Amino acid sequence: MTISFDQVSKVFADGTIALDNLRLEFNQGEFIVLLGPSGSGKTTACRILAGLEQATSGSVSIDGRDITKLPPRERNMSMVFQNYALYSHKTVFENIAYPLRVRKIATGQIDEKVREIAQLLQIDAFLNRRPSQLSGGQAQRVAVARALVWNPDICLMDEPLSNLDAILRLQTRTELKRLHGDLGHTFVFVTHDQEEAMTLGTRIAVLNEGKLVQFDTPKRVYHEPATRFVAEFIGRPAMNIIDGEIEAGIFHAGGFEISVPQQPDGPVAMGIRPEQIVLRDRATDDTIEFELDVIELVEPDTLLFVKNNEAALVVRVLREVGQLERGSVVHLELPRENRHFFEALNGRRRI
Amino acid sequence: MTRAWKTAALAAVIVVLVLMLLPYLWIFLTSFKTRLDALADIPVWAFAPTFDHYPKVFIDKGYLPLVWNSIIVATFSTVLSLVVGAPAAYVFARFDFRGKEDLFFFFLTTRMAPPISIVVPMFLLFTTLGITDKPIAVILAHTTFNLSLVVWMMRGFFDDIPRDIDEAAMMDGHSQFGTFLKILVPLAAPGLAATAVLCFILSWNEFLYAFILVAFEGRTLTVGIPGLITPHGTLWGQVAAVAVVATLPILVFTFIVQKHLVRGLTFGAVKG
Repeated sequence: MTISFDQVSKVFADGTIALDNLRLEFNQGEFIVLLGPSGSGKTTACRILAGLEQATSGSVSIDGRDITKLPPRERNMSMVFQNYALYSHKTVFENIAYPLRVRKIATGQIDEKVREIAQLLQIDAFLNRRPSQLSGGQAQRVAVARALVWNPDICLMDEPLSNLDAILRLQTRTELKRLHGDLGHTFVFVTHDQEEAMTLGTRIAVLNEGKLVQFDTPKRVYHEPATRFVAEFIGRPAMNIIDGEIEAGIFHAGGFEISVPQQPDGPVAMGIRPEQIVLRDRATDDTIEFELDVIELVEPDTLLFVKNNEAALVVRVLREVGQLERGSVVHLELPRENRHFFEALNGRRRI
Repeated sequence: MTRAWKTAALAAVIVVLVLMLLPYLWIFLTSFKTRLDALADIPVWAFAPTFDHYPKVFIDKGYLPLVWNSIIVATFSTVLSLVVGAPAAYVFARFDFRGKEDLFFFFLTTRMAPPISIVVPMFLLFTTLGITDKPIAVILAHTTFNLSLVVWMMRGFFDDIPRDIDEAAMMDGHSQFGTFLKILVPLAAPGLAATAVLCFILSWNEFLYAFILVAFEGRTLTVGIPGLITPHGTLWGQVAAVAVVATLPILVFTFIVQKHLVRGLTFGAVKG
């Protein structure tokens, strides 16, 4: 089964362009994450796939069959909502059983299926409770159970973890990952949290301002960001970006110069991840001097905020920094293989 | 709250209760008073009760069917208003279309004209249709004002239900109308109950439309009462007896649904 968005655009009544010419194709069994800041169109894309929103133009199809105009109930998809959207007048059991009841499954089978999925999600003890008697984490599991109990083709999740507190969010995240491994369902997961995207997705679609900027595996999104936006959005702390200019194989920025023999001339932004900068004990040919501004301990790591005239960098080191203190001079190496170059004009990655 | 405030609040409640309940006490007592006691210049509190008024007015004067008429009229106008008004309210709560708020406001304007100004054309209309003096005439007339009440109240209740719920129901396999019927209506049940009670009470107590539109067979209880103002004077005892009977069903009905009523009327206020 292949799901594809073909040039899908969505313009809202007030003129907002929520989605701009989205092309996206993925397969059965994948865990697709739609990642982007608010207003990037990720939720709109998810809702268009669900049939809850109509595309202004373009089409959505499954195995070549156009489903653009089909109502939600004819699409064989389920959805988990950010606010759980449980039926408060029904018990947990009935909430989970509901999609089966609507689809006229035999009562005996319903009982079996509900208990099975409830056990898998460890909510079998609450089946007789009302949604109002559940904690946020329990309610979200019920919502997940309701979405998976009838074996839909695709399970859509619209920021399902955002309303959970930090610890619970991590637990649920791991559980979702396990669930995907066990059941092999196709998931489409919407989030603005890059960490969730990195841990859950088999592939991540990064959206910004209604456009798809990159669609790739977490590893490649991290190591080969297609644009400056992706580079800064993925990874915490964010990738260091230094605006500068390349002239005759030398990158000039406010305070320093680095030799970049392979790069053509022109204005560029150079990026390097905080964890890929190497802290040296003494100056070498490859190091640049920076002044240490702030030290933050994020156990087990240490974040060093350094500056050099106009350039400022964050460095993440995984070791004791000993005698370093504010104002110390540090020698940093920006390894060649870890540098990323983006066009200053449009943010695209340079080859 | 301080003690003084509590006492003051209690006093205020008592004053309001006395003001509200005294007329009912008067009606109740009068329904058991002889004509002489009822008309006494100085109210008589201790009197020998008479039980003549009830059988006289309900059996001899044939007022019993009026109770039935009132029940029919109030029930059907309530049901009709809910059946038509609740889906309309759902549409106002969930869909966007051109002129929506104007149309919504239009429902309210139907209540702005004084009833007396539309009752004459209504009478002519119903005469042409040949349905005057039948309960259906009053049912339709009462639906005109109950419908706007239902649309306005129920929209608020539907607005309070998050749209996610509709969408969850549609993902679970419902059509738009199935979502309304199977999920939204049960969720809005407290609001629906509160609205129904108000509709029922408004229709039950209505006098003007019923008075103009029915004269004999289709009379409701409220219309029956002026019939007891005779050339020989007002039969206060019988008036009071009819009034007591007219009050009872509402009293019982309200007590039964009181829990829902309070929940329904404060639905929006105490959410969350």
